[in-house]
Amino acid sequence: MTLIRELSRRGFLNMGAAAGLGLMLPKTGLIRPAFAAAPLPPVAEEAAMIAWGYVGPTADEGWTWAHDQGRLAVEKAFPKLKTSFVESVPYSADASRIYRQFVADGANMVFANSNYGDFLYDVAKRAPEVAFYECDGRLAMENLGTYYVQHWYPSYVTGVAAGLMSKTGKLGYVASFPVPSVYSGTNAFLMGARSVNPAATVQAIVINSWFDPQAAAQAGTALLDNGCDVLFGIMDEAAYLQVAEQRGAKAVMWNTDIRRYGPSAYISSIMVDFGPWYVEQVRRRLAGEWTPSEDILPMAKGVDRDAWGESVPPEVAAQADAAREKILSGWSPFTGEIKDSNGAIKVAAGQTMTERELYEWNWSIEGVSGLDA
Amino acid sequence: MNLHLQRLPSARPGMAFGARVAALVLALLTAAAVLAAAGFAPLDLAAQVLRSTFGSRFGLEDLGLLLTPLIYTGLAVAVGLRIGAWNIGAEGQFNIGAFCAAGVALFVPGPVWLLLPLMMVAGAMGGALWILVPTLARAYADVSELITTLLLNFVALLLVYFVATGPWLDPSGHALATTARLPVAVPEFWGIVHWGFPVAVALALLLAVVFAFSRWGYEVRISGSNPGAARYAGIPVTRHLIGVMLLSGALAGLGGMMEVAGTVGRLQGGISNNYGYLGIMVAVLARAAPLGVLASALLMAVILNGGIILQTQGLTTNTVLAVTGLILLFSAIGDELAHYRVIRRQEKG
Repeated sequence: MTLIRELSRRGFLNMGAAAGLGLMLPKTGLIRPAFAAAPLPPVAEEAAMIAWGYVGPTADEGWTWAHDQGRLAVEKAFPKLKTSFVESVPYSADASRIYRQFVADGANMVFANSNYGDFLYDVAKRAPEVAFYECDGRLAMENLGTYYVQHWYPSYVTGVAAGLMSKTGKLGYVASFPVPSVYSGTNAFLMGARSVNPAATVQAIVINSWFDPQAAAQAGTALLDNGCDVLFGIMDEAAYLQVAEQRGAKAVMWNTDIRRYGPSAYISSIMVDFGPWYVEQVRRRLAGEWTPSEDILPMAKGVDRDAWGESVPPEVAAQADAAREKILSGWSPFTGEIKDSNGAIKVAAGQTMTERELYEWNWSIEGVSGLDA
Repeated sequence: MNLHLQRLPSARPGMAFGARVAALVLALLTAAAVLAAAGFAPLDLAAQVLRSTFGSRFGLEDLGLLLTPLIYTGLAVAVGLRIGAWNIGAEGQFNIGAFCAAGVALFVPGPVWLLLPLMMVAGAMGGALWILVPTLARAYADVSELITTLLLNFVALLLVYFVATGPWLDPSGHALATTARLPVAVPEFWGIVHWGFPVAVALALLLAVVFAFSRWGYEVRISGSNPGAARYAGIPVTRHLIGVMLLSGALAGLGGMMEVAGTVGRLQGGISNNYGYLGIMVAVLARAAPLGVLASALLMAVILNGGIILQTQGLTTNTVLAVTGLILLFSAIGDELAHYRVIRRQEKG
């Protein structure tokens, strides 16, 4: 078994070049480990059961809702198979119980959203005949893959718009946990903003949850009280958008188009669409072609900015979209010199961060506060 | 001649037991009626829950794993109730117990046979320390422990989140917002059920014996039911209160140690899984009797485990919470009703 982490960077680059021809990751290389294991045997559609474990409620109009749309897309593409899901799976031994119950119920494939770590791995190890995927996962096994989105690119693009629209230059971020998706989100957002306002800063508040509207609203209020006038975050719902709307500030959201909760505050959103990817993975599983993959969907193919909000001036939208076009044509904004929050140079001048480094980003750049302990 | 209700100072055991059974049946029937109205087939669901839980070794192992922390927190709350103290902070003490045990496992080198007892002591002492301030405040300043123990839960949780996502964060990067896997684990006892389970049962038996037969147990009971009389009889009520509350915290802390070192393997924010709050229900349903805790923890584990099975069948987690709430509500009503008896009173001429 090859663990992704144990490969050298050169190994990665080589694999990335090989995988570059693969279907979902044209740009970087989804790092597709070469597993020696044979694919799992095929499953008849009418006998198949595919299960999803969600971090929040499907009614969140955000992350979980978006993944449930993916589940519905699978049901539509394969009407004879059965799907099952559990909402609000906690980060405790209950998560293992739920995933074990999926296996006991006869699931052929299990998707976990997200970050369940050992709670999922313990189950996957004991169920080698079941295909597992962990969203935003960091470990690969013979029957466990990983999937996520390159959200740092649209985060950079919306950061450009935020930098142009902020009067104070102080941007706020409602964070879940100090994990790589939050580091890459805050860093990319600030780098976008600094490309137009070099004095911009990001202040983050960690609320220890992906779905806690009350805590998110409190954090949003505190950030605005501190002088921030544009909020970003990685919440599964719209609470801090409502706060921004009431206070006359602006906000960039995640997951879906939820501008109706704050039409004049809404700048854009990091939109995700996992539907085609889910359908493809289920197809591979049913056809007996499935081996674990690591798929980080690129911008314009699974993740993108949303249509700009009504209060975004056309020239701001044009400038941000120019950055988006540049990225799509191959330019990377994540090029040195980049300093961390202590001022140490982490990426040398001229050096570009790899997709793996972006995916595993675990330090704040200069100008981001509130995440590094 | 007419019929009257008469309230008795304490419920007769038979009545109390009957009321408890009736409450459970009524709660389940109510839940079944609601589920049926919502288009589910309650009998099928119940059969599936029982089959999945008791019909396989896999289900029984899962049940044992879920039962273990509920016994610890149930005992913690029950012990406090013996002397009239409401330890609402078992959740926090559980977290601190896990925190202290994880600290020993991660940073103290040594052989397993030495580290495991050390972790148990650290977990229990951490739990006791976490309830120390509420205990002294209650004992010497008459500050309600209901509030102080409850509020410290949030402090404990934030402390665990802080170390698990900050200074103690797993350096490997595989796991997010959690510490590295502890190098020491509580050995397995039966399948995935670790030795925390038999230790919990043994503690319940020990406490039952101590409360029933020791002088200390007797004095604690008297101190709880009538502190004034106890003081008059020369019983050191304050000393007993302090001892019992610290014991309560230690039990919850030990539960946290077993969970982190036996079940989860890493310290992280969600580890307590509301076991501390569920312990309150366990203790109340057990009427604060240590042996009763074993029974009510089993009942609670079956319901919670059933809840997971129901969730994969399309019910939301809130439904399951509502069922546990119904059981507590009906039990409270039943307990109160068990205090009454019907008497016939002769009309006076």
